[in-house]
Amino acid sequence: MTDNSSRVRDIDGPEGSGGDGVDRRGFLQCMAWAGTGLVWTATGGILSSATLRQAAAAGADSAGSFSFVQISDTHIGFKGEANKDALGTFEQAIARIKAIDPAPAFIIHTGDLTHAQKPGAFDTVSEALKGTKAERVFYIPGENDVFADGGKEYLGRFGGPAGTGWQSFDYQGVHFIGLVNVLNYKAGGLGSLGPMQLEWLKKDVEGLASSMPLVVFAHVPLWAVYPKWGWVTDDGGQALSYLKRFGSATVLNGHIHQIMQKVEGNISFHTALSTAFPQPAPGVGEGPGPLKVPVEQLRGVLGVREVSYIQGTSRLAVVDSTLA
Amino acid sequence: MNSRGRSTRSAWVWRMAVTAMAALGGLAVATCAPAGQSDGGAFPDRLAQRVAVSAPPGPGPRLEIAKHKYSSPTLTVPAGTTVTWVNRDEDVHTVVSTTLAFKSAGLETDEAYSFKFTTPGVYEYFCTLHPLMTGKVIVK
Repeated sequence: MTDNSSRVRDIDGPEGSGGDGVDRRGFLQCMAWAGTGLVWTATGGILSSATLRQAAAAGADSAGSFSFVQISDTHIGFKGEANKDALGTFEQAIARIKAIDPAPAFIIHTGDLTHAQKPGAFDTVSEALKGTKAERVFYIPGENDVFADGGKEYLGRFGGPAGTGWQSFDYQGVHFIGLVNVLNYKAGGLGSLGPMQLEWLKKDVEGLASSMPLVVFAHVPLWAVYPKWGWVTDDGGQALSYLKRFGSATVLNGHIHQIMQKVEGNISFHTALSTAFPQPAPGVGEGPGPLKVPVEQLRGVLGVREVSYIQGTSRLAVVDSTLA
Repeated sequence: MNSRGRSTRSAWVWRMAVTAMAALGGLAVATCAPAGQSDGGAFPDRLAQRVAVSAPPGPGPRLEIAKHKYSSPTLTVPAGTTVTWVNRDEDVHTVVSTTLAFKSAGLETDEAYSFKFTTPGVYEYFCTLHPLMTGKVIVK
């Protein structure tokens, strides 16, 4: 089910890591992708990924390790040509998560729970995720979740005690930070975190030891995947500057419905697949948006693209896998 | 008052009701996609055909929203003109004035939004989901 080298593609853009000292020693380790959910396992602060199926088979039960699931861009309510059954593929993803044994400690949803804030869609997502064995589910919003009412409903439900949507927590020695970069869009602008959130982030990491592994999650990529299509966070660079002193920071994003990875210093970036539909590769075609593929290929396309980097002592690689 | 309509027969009926309401109290009216006759041939044939099939006619210029772009980023019209935007993408888009002079709901595929421009001026607008999408209506 995997192909660990032939389709690995370097997506270094102008700000890519090629030639900037990234250590590519080692090999492209075969780590697989399940199409609708990725299990991250932290062992000794180093993240690696495996398919849900593999995780279920092998278990993530060694001492001091745990796993969590990232799910993204479920777009509940989407009924376009790119996937006539987005609810069905979402349910498939949920079934995969439920099959993981031992269960993941928690689940992170990196936004666009809903397609255009369809009535009932937040319920569909939260109820389904509650049905997994994960202890908790953490959400951050996508633009589809907040555009219609400025985030009122989303923040009321998932915004946390402060109601801001951004949050942090520690789990077994790893510090997790969820950021919101889809509110307050300005005409001609890009996704941004804003001064308040940046200030919060700065303070949040201030007291942490540099040896503490970080995992940061947000909807729109914090790095410049493709600014022309808005696949970047305007003030993401400032946020990342607060993370640079840490020995290991892993940034998880959604939004672009395809897998990409990049490493800059000790920070590794990973974008996730959608459970609903794929999008074109950056710059391919006239613009972003749901990409229609032959229906029999849909699940396969959800797991197609991959980029692998090997960073210092961390090894992070992603390899093709499909739902099929 | 903002609303939206899907380009179907049932939505067309609904549109008339909403339009009547709009006449009573507001400027923005829900309408349907164009019959393809007033786009000046600016759109590909494929789109024009879809329009002709899927939508009843309506007054005023029509703009398509496709591939994350407004088909006429700058449009100049006389005061009193109703402008209609029709979303042809599978992504949801909006048409929202930067001064909130008008604001559509989220438009799904083939849904349309109209606004009647009664006062001369320059009206800049953008998509609140994809803010790199911008446009301008100049009312003379």
